[in-house]
Amino acid sequence: MAEIRPFCMPKWGIEMTEGTIATWMVKEGDAFTKGDMLCLIETAKITNEVEAEYDAVARRILVPAGGDAEPVGALLAVFADAAASDAEIDAFIADFRPAETGVAARSSDSESPSAPAHTSASARPGRIATNRPISPEALKLAERENIDISQIDGSGRNGRITLQDIQQAIRPTAKPVFKGSAQLVEDNAGFFASPLARRIAALHGIDLAGIKGTGPRGRISRADVQALVSPVPAARPVAAEFALNPNLPEIKPFDRIRKIIAQRLTDAKQQIPHFYLRISVRVDELLALRKTANLVLNCKASINDYLVKATALALVRHPDVNIQVHGNELHHFPHADISIAVASPKGLVTPIVRQADRMRIDQIAAETRRLIDKAQAGRLGLEDMNGGTFSISNLGMMGIEQFDAIINPPQGAILAVGTASRQPVETAHGGIGFETRLALTLSVDHRAIDGAGGAAFLGTLKQLIEEPEALFV
Amino acid sequence: MQLSREALQRAYRQMKVIREFEERLHSEIQTGEIAGFTHLYCGQEAVAVGVCEHLGTDDKIISTHRGHGHCLAKGCDIEGMMKEIWGSRDGLCKGKGGSMHIADVDQGMLGANGIVGAGAPIAVGAALAAKLDGQGHVSIAFSGDGACNQGTTFEAMNFAVVTGAPCIFVFENNHYSEHTGVDYAVGTQQDIASRAEAFGMKVWRADGTDFFAVHDTMREALAYVRAGNGPAAIEFDTERFFGHFEGDPQRYRGKGEIERLRETRDCLKKFRKAVTTAGLLDDTDLDAIDSEVLTSIDRAVEAARAAARPTAEDVLADVYISY
Amino acid sequence: MAKMMYRDAVVSTIAAEMERDPNVVVLGEDVVGGMGTAGGPEAIGGIWSTSTGLYGRFGQDRVIDTPISESAIVGAAAGLALAGKRPVAELMFADFIGVSLDQIWNQIGKFRYMFGGKTKCPVVIRMAYGAGFNAAAQHSQSVHQILTGMPGLKVVMPSTPADVAGLLRQAIRDDDPVIFLEHKALYATTGEVPDDPDFVIPFGHARLTRAGEDVTIVSSGLLLGFCEAVADRLANEGIGCDVIDLRTTSPLDEEAILDSVEVTGRLVVVDEAPPRCGLAADLCALAANKAFSSLKAPPQAVTPPHTPIPFARELESAYLPSAEKIEAAVRKVLNWR
Repeated sequence: MAEIRPFCMPKWGIEMTEGTIATWMVKEGDAFTKGDMLCLIETAKITNEVEAEYDAVARRILVPAGGDAEPVGALLAVFADAAASDAEIDAFIADFRPAETGVAARSSDSESPSAPAHTSASARPGRIATNRPISPEALKLAERENIDISQIDGSGRNGRITLQDIQQAIRPTAKPVFKGSAQLVEDNAGFFASPLARRIAALHGIDLAGIKGTGPRGRISRADVQALVSPVPAARPVAAEFALNPNLPEIKPFDRIRKIIAQRLTDAKQQIPHFYLRISVRVDELLALRKTANLVLNCKASINDYLVKATALALVRHPDVNIQVHGNELHHFPHADISIAVASPKGLVTPIVRQADRMRIDQIAAETRRLIDKAQAGRLGLEDMNGGTFSISNLGMMGIEQFDAIINPPQGAILAVGTASRQPVETAHGGIGFETRLALTLSVDHRAIDGAGGAAFLGTLKQLIEEPEALFV
Repeated sequence: MQLSREALQRAYRQMKVIREFEERLHSEIQTGEIAGFTHLYCGQEAVAVGVCEHLGTDDKIISTHRGHGHCLAKGCDIEGMMKEIWGSRDGLCKGKGGSMHIADVDQGMLGANGIVGAGAPIAVGAALAAKLDGQGHVSIAFSGDGACNQGTTFEAMNFAVVTGAPCIFVFENNHYSEHTGVDYAVGTQQDIASRAEAFGMKVWRADGTDFFAVHDTMREALAYVRAGNGPAAIEFDTERFFGHFEGDPQRYRGKGEIERLRETRDCLKKFRKAVTTAGLLDDTDLDAIDSEVLTSIDRAVEAARAAARPTAEDVLADVYISY
Repeated sequence: MAKMMYRDAVVSTIAAEMERDPNVVVLGEDVVGGMGTAGGPEAIGGIWSTSTGLYGRFGQDRVIDTPISESAIVGAAAGLALAGKRPVAELMFADFIGVSLDQIWNQIGKFRYMFGGKTKCPVVIRMAYGAGFNAAAQHSQSVHQILTGMPGLKVVMPSTPADVAGLLRQAIRDDDPVIFLEHKALYATTGEVPDDPDFVIPFGHARLTRAGEDVTIVSSGLLLGFCEAVADRLANEGIGCDVIDLRTTSPLDEEAILDSVEVTGRLVVVDEAPPRCGLAADLCALAANKAFSSLKAPPQAVTPPHTPIPFARELESAYLPSAEKIEAAVRKVLNWR
């Protein structure tokens, strides 16, 4: 029998919910072989070619190129060999159900018991126009999840739809397991005991007569009976010894700062499309220059201070990286306000060295010292942390070789600095030499900064670090 | 009927205690030390004392928001009352009631009452209890010209007549229901007693600023009720020397009205004049009582000031006997 | 044990307590019935037949037939109690608390506290409540939530003849004021009542009438029977219901409710009073406050709508909670997603 196979909207990565056919490279009736290009699919992030994974004939193309976005799992075309009849193809299409896990599964008609309220596959997430009373959060969720609210009875006053109503509509049908009836213990006169105390007593054959109640109004309560339920003696395996003193956590709620950190980082990681650019820079010259310069300027500027200076100068030369992102706006800044990540007793804080591009290295050193002291005393104020056009996070002093940082919104990028290490390199004459290198990773907000822009910025930074005289120009 | 020298002295002392208690509160309240509402009985002393001098502790009275005089006349402790008004936990009601809710059931005082007209039905209930006990005890419902317009009072009067309750409705007409005159608010104009009469009971009317008139009238009414004739009512024409509550600007008073009342309608002055003229007591006797009373009021105020304050835990106490 | 009607349990308990304690007196409109008529005393023994025979047995001083004066009835009961008696006052219809509310609320409910704990006011105020007789908006109401909201009062709502006997005896012997609510539709129901002349049921002690571990249904009075019917139906499906009869709403047996919800994780409260600021809402809040971590579904309240009680049969049936409405609410919490 002819094999008929569906061609569905693929899911590329967990964030992908829908895609659009940009171009079909086959048309109905075309035969193709494994490895042939079938179509181009655009997602919010990428445009990708789709290769055939088997030999077949494109029997039916259901979604034309250039149409609306289709949810993941939506049926795009039907492939089969030539032996399949048109009637078989039609029957296949009629019976087709998207996979349970796919986004399209929720979008199929309401025959699926798990999602009675969802609209048909062709509907798109978007604004719901309705006169029905509905809470703002419920409306948002309904729009996001593409819920047909006409199927929902509002549980609020005058039928107002609540967030809970939408959440109930989204969730799959409950399949509760019931424990069933229990033995009803007669509330015989004479014993003043709570219903549960009676039940437990009956279960364990305990006579209520002898019990002195400690409950309200002297009533025998559950605890009174439970105290008499003899514990089951059993030989405990060794592991039970540890179970006797379970490894209980000490529970501390987030403090204010931790809450802010958690919220900001969660938002940043979830909402900002990060990409990462890595580069390694030679710092032998910088280390050498630092000794001299610190002597001349009578300061104790750290490598990090020099990196702040170099970054600030690079940012001024690449204004497309020295930015903040506010909704659909880009804010460009004439100077570089650099947030430096500092571990304080209260958690990660990011005080700002303002207009670092205009500061001499000793001024930067003094300012970072002041901010770090203040941070460690837990005395940073909003004025120390509000704003910033770029961040530097340096874990090099802790031996971390390299890492990826999360962008500090509304900034567009953050530089993660690893430790300096001696590495063998091929010298100019084919020999082996050693130099001190530093691994830098730039995390970039792809909404605002392109790969090329980020790379150009990193190139400038690398040059400033490797030829540090420029820092004093 | 002629009163003994001791009875006269006791009556005068009781009236004087009420007078000085109230006068002292009037001045203490100005300092802001006493919280809440206070309604002073000053001017009506002859009614409370003239009525209560006839009663024993097994006879019950129920009072009004203007209740200090009835409490004192029925035997409530001066210091206990003063402490209550100050809000002390050692007050008669442990600081839970205050001026408007002083009660001492052991003394047959079933409570001052903040709701105008609420007392009459309760007094009827107490009278029914007395009837059931068959010891000839009575209960007194003190009501003002304000309460005489409440449906509860009407219900209570009919109820008492129907059930033959040994209850005496004492209406103290001080001519003001809060800030409104009786001429406006009482449809039967100057005659409240006629209302009780309409409900089918025997009534008396007397001058409430004349102790002897009150005392004699009460004696007659009491004898009638104790004899098992059912309820009775007395209307006393009396005067209120202060406002409805302390702080009342009393703009409703006529010019010079209070001075005139204090001059011509003061039950204490009238009493003094009557007993000295008749040679029953002399000024020295009465002056001695005056100074004795003032000392006791001073002591009560000092004690109230020094008395223990209630604590937050006391809020939860005494809602129920068991819960 | 003796089988008797709910209404007979009222009369027999009052009679037994009057016999035992000469301070117990009864008063109310038509508690004798026929006074001042050609028919004479006891021509009619009260419209609910809940005082039948008392007058002949105890006489007019202890069985006081009153004019239609609800304020005076409750006020007189207050005065009787302050003077050492144990009055059992009848208000005929619970709806009439409106006319006498000051005496209930500002007087008897507050004496003890206001007077610094030195008085007691052992009043019982009996009244017939509840809908189901097409008696319309002023003769059908459930008033327990109004009175339960008044500190100083105890509020009792028996659902069986045995509970009438045990709770009414406790009410008469109790030193605090007690509101005793008798459901009109239960007067003719029958049940076994213990013969013990000292049979009392302590207040604040709820009764478990069905046991199960899947859902807790809390109710009282007439609606309790509907809840039990639903529980029996669900038991056939393997679903177990704890059905709790509150018996008293003040004091409230919080412990029985919370113990049960901790086992079942699901709560449905069924009440005959309107929803706003009501008992059902109160108990749902109790579970949310004190058993939040046990809950598998939001607690549900089954109450009439927030309207006066309508007259016509169709309207009153639509107004009242029914077994179907209760079952729907139970299934809702069982199937919560």
